[in-house]
Amino acid sequence: MPRDLFSPVQAQDVAGAFEAHQVDYMFIGKSGAILLGYPGTTQDVDVYPRKDPENGARIIGALKDLGFALDHNLEDEIIGGKDFIQIKSGPFDIDLVFAPDGIESYSEAKSRMDISSGFPVLNIRDIIASKRSAGRPRDVVELPLLEAFRDVYEKDQK
Amino acid sequence: MKDDDLKDFRRQCERSLQRSVEERMRYGFCYVYKPVLDDAPWRSFDSMAAYRKWCRENLPEYLGYGELTPLQKEILDAT
Repeated sequence: MPRDLFSPVQAQDVAGAFEAHQVDYMFIGKSGAILLGYPGTTQDVDVYPRKDPENGARIIGALKDLGFALDHNLEDEIIGGKDFIQIKSGPFDIDLVFAPDGIESYSEAKSRMDISSGFPVLNIRDIIASKRSAGRPRDVVELPLLEAFRDVYEKDQK
Repeated sequence: MKDDDLKDFRRQCERSLQRSVEERMRYGFCYVYKPVLDDAPWRSFDSMAAYRKWCRENLPEYLGYGELTPLQKEILDAT
């Protein structure tokens, strides 16, 4: 994995490539929260794409432009829309989460999407709901902090 | 988490919100090697439940992808 190419502006790179290929998606997870202003750290970009073969083909084009090495099996999995695909064969890590925990419907989540950062980001309340639903030890540590951030963030947005 | 710590964190959030998105990315994204998790070019799972099961069975416990302890369940319920 070409980690010497790692750049902290990876979300911007993803957004540019996804826009160029007209991928329908939102940033989710901690990477989405960071774009909104959450003062945490992460190494990967979590993306929630709409699940359909056409969108999958667009994702493949965007990832190739970003420098990800994709084999035919992986391309099939992306087009098929496996619920969760973790890719580490590029300049940074990207998780494609086609069916995130705690989120019922892509279109409903998209209707609540937050674009205040200039990026398409899942609503902070949905990010928290998804983390709560995943219920992992690492999420338990993060949840009180995300809740505190949500309070500050929503007051700041008013 | 203690009240004082949360107050400090809220102030940290306020400062973070004053930063540009570029600064948030610069401070927020960093590469840290995670054993096992980072040792394959890609993985896919039919469901998030299957992914969590794989994490529980394969990743070192300290990475935080394992089962919740009773105390952690209590904390999760309280948040």
